[in-house]
Amino acid sequence: MNTTPSFTINRRQILKLAAVFGATATLAACSGPSLGAGAGAADVAVMDWTGITPAKEITWWSNHPGTSKLIEEEIIKRFHAENPNITVNLVTAGANYDEIAQKFQAASGTNSVPDLVLASDVWWFRYMINGQILPIDDLARHLEIDTADFNKTLYDDYTFTGNHWAIPYARSTPLFYYNKDVWAKAGLPDRAPKTWTEFDEWAPKIQADGGVTPLGLGKGASWAAWWFCNMLWGQGGAYSDEWTMTLDTPEAIAAADYLQSLIYDKKVATVAAVDQVADFGAGLTGCIMGSTGSLTGILEAATFEVGTGFLPEGPEGQACPTGGTGIAIAADRTPEQQLAAGMFLKFLTNSENTAYFSSNTGYMPVRTSARDGETMTKVYAEFPQFRTAVDQLETTRSQDWGRVFVPNADKELTTALEKIMLQQTDPAEAFAVASTAIATSFDENVSPYL
Amino acid sequence: MPTIEDLHRGTASAVAAPTNVTTPAPRRAFTPRKKKKPWKSWSLFLLFAGPNVALLIVFTYKPLLQSLYYSTLQWNLGSASAIPVGLGNYVTWFNDPGTARVVTVTLIFTVATVGGGMVIGLLFAVLLNRKLHGRGAARTVIVAPYVLSGVAVGLLWLFVFDPNFGITAALLDAIGVASPPWYNDPQWALVMVIIVYLWKNVGYVALIYLAALQSVPRDLLEAASLDGATPVRAFRNIVLPLLGPTTFFLSITTLLSSLQSFDIIQAMTKGGPLEGTTTMMYQIYQEGFQAGRAGYSSAVATILFAVLLVVTLIQMKYVEKRVHY
Repeated sequence: MNTTPSFTINRRQILKLAAVFGATATLAACSGPSLGAGAGAADVAVMDWTGITPAKEITWWSNHPGTSKLIEEEIIKRFHAENPNITVNLVTAGANYDEIAQKFQAASGTNSVPDLVLASDVWWFRYMINGQILPIDDLARHLEIDTADFNKTLYDDYTFTGNHWAIPYARSTPLFYYNKDVWAKAGLPDRAPKTWTEFDEWAPKIQADGGVTPLGLGKGASWAAWWFCNMLWGQGGAYSDEWTMTLDTPEAIAAADYLQSLIYDKKVATVAAVDQVADFGAGLTGCIMGSTGSLTGILEAATFEVGTGFLPEGPEGQACPTGGTGIAIAADRTPEQQLAAGMFLKFLTNSENTAYFSSNTGYMPVRTSARDGETMTKVYAEFPQFRTAVDQLETTRSQDWGRVFVPNADKELTTALEKIMLQQTDPAEAFAVASTAIATSFDENVSPYL
Repeated sequence: MPTIEDLHRGTASAVAAPTNVTTPAPRRAFTPRKKKKPWKSWSLFLLFAGPNVALLIVFTYKPLLQSLYYSTLQWNLGSASAIPVGLGNYVTWFNDPGTARVVTVTLIFTVATVGGGMVIGLLFAVLLNRKLHGRGAARTVIVAPYVLSGVAVGLLWLFVFDPNFGITAALLDAIGVASPPWYNDPQWALVMVIIVYLWKNVGYVALIYLAALQSVPRDLLEAASLDGATPVRAFRNIVLPLLGPTTFFLSITTLLSSLQSFDIIQAMTKGGPLEGTTTMMYQIYQEGFQAGRAGYSSAVATILFAVLLVVTLIQMKYVEKRVHY
């Protein structure tokens, strides 16, 4: 027969338990953050780099965006050839930007912090207010990094309080992709619609053929609130004006109303269940807004000819956000290591390596000289679609603080947009909930650290 | 000075009662065996229990208490400093408009996976306990998903439920029914992750029940059948009560693992759509690592810990009394 000892605890056991807990509590109190007001960004005091010798070994945490591990290794090899005294260790520190960020933040205060870390558009600001990264400007001046050659929008994405906190690396924008076969059947000109009004005129023609939904939309965190910048800004709205949420403006509501009307009134758009890129590739939808980072994958997967174009304009004109990742230098390292890290950063983002990286991954060439150079010109000749993305770069603008700088803001905005797209919730109501939550998060998680 | 007799007595008593080592004076110098024994048992204890206790302290109790401490801080993960806020994080959680939804999702998920898992697991166990053709293969098939990685299972089912290309869509299409919006409707998404969780974990319940069923004495069942009890009656009045301790054990273990479930949700829905699959466990991850609100996330973890503790204690105190041995 089965017997189970009955559950009783005597006084002695309770005392023992208390002793164990007490001892561990003492241990626990020995670690963790120091108490007081928020520490804020790292000190921007000017440093004299001239007398410093670069360290012999540095570590770089990457997730190899755009399956670029071999490309990154090749660039490191080239760096070693030029700088035999500095070894760069490339570490796969996650599968995406979020995982890298989680590890980088968890490693804070330990000696496992890397010298160089990928700092994506939604993470660098948090690294900065946590005091985890170094302002780049001073070191860039010392190393004579040609920062004026960077695409201005892409470099200025990392500006706060007059300093740059990262250098652009694997940068992307959303792009309009369309199925040329579907376009031809519908008798449409071989180009993307110039404006959303033009798309509205075209959509019934695409639908007339049956089977194909004209526009595929993506949902989910880090995504929906990114492409929606196009409709929002195109209507003259924004998520926020610096730290003040502006989702209650008529322009913002108009943008969401328009999005909702595409799905529920005109019935020309559908929200993808899992992956709008896969649905587009399978011919279920006629066009999508996708990342330039997906370009190579889409061209490979599609069984039809893929056309690309700028995102359609709204009543207030062209509107396209930037995205992707930059690279930052950790604050919690010795000046010797920071100097070596800066030297590698200079090499990694020089014109030649920028072109090498871009041509092999599909990310934007972040330097003007690389964009216009020989390598990229060859790429444009082979894949004219790539040229569209690069041309569109001139029309991009940095994202609203209310989305990218406040913890949980993207999640709140995603939820609001999902309510609008999936449940036909009144945009004003959905936006109001998100705005309140983001304002609270700002007060609690950002404001004390500024 | 101790006499020889004393020493003899001392030695004798040390052998008889080794725990009596702290009694003073006479037995100190000339009795190596006496001292050696307790030292040996202490070292044995340390040898066997030490590593475990050390691991428990470092990886369980210390983080537990540390998280309790962090829950009183307003601390951005990664920041070197934090602001003490007392019970502020708890107040925020209880006043947050989203909390009711998270709690509801957690409750539905837990009740469905624990209750559903126990019922389905028991049915499978009863079925597998019969002399059927291909029983061995069926056992393997039912238990196999339990040993698979949750992320792999989640990714696999991601395709199965795809409303455009998935098997469920194809099957439903064959009988003229449109696929439910598994990924775009919060309720359907919750149903979906519950189905996948059950599929993965029901084998564990079936396995434990099967073992218990096989230890049910046959003579009892034979006696019942001689007395004219139908198989259903025999199952209800003999087998089920005998399974009591197993049911009790399973109710605790499945409840704990269900409340801590993370991998399938992360692989399939990431807590969405519309946070319709965000359980408390997932919220801890999201707040801690996505939002970087380490203090707030610790507060949620502490609340979940308290809930688990209370539920387990209630189960031990009340349910156990009803268990028939």
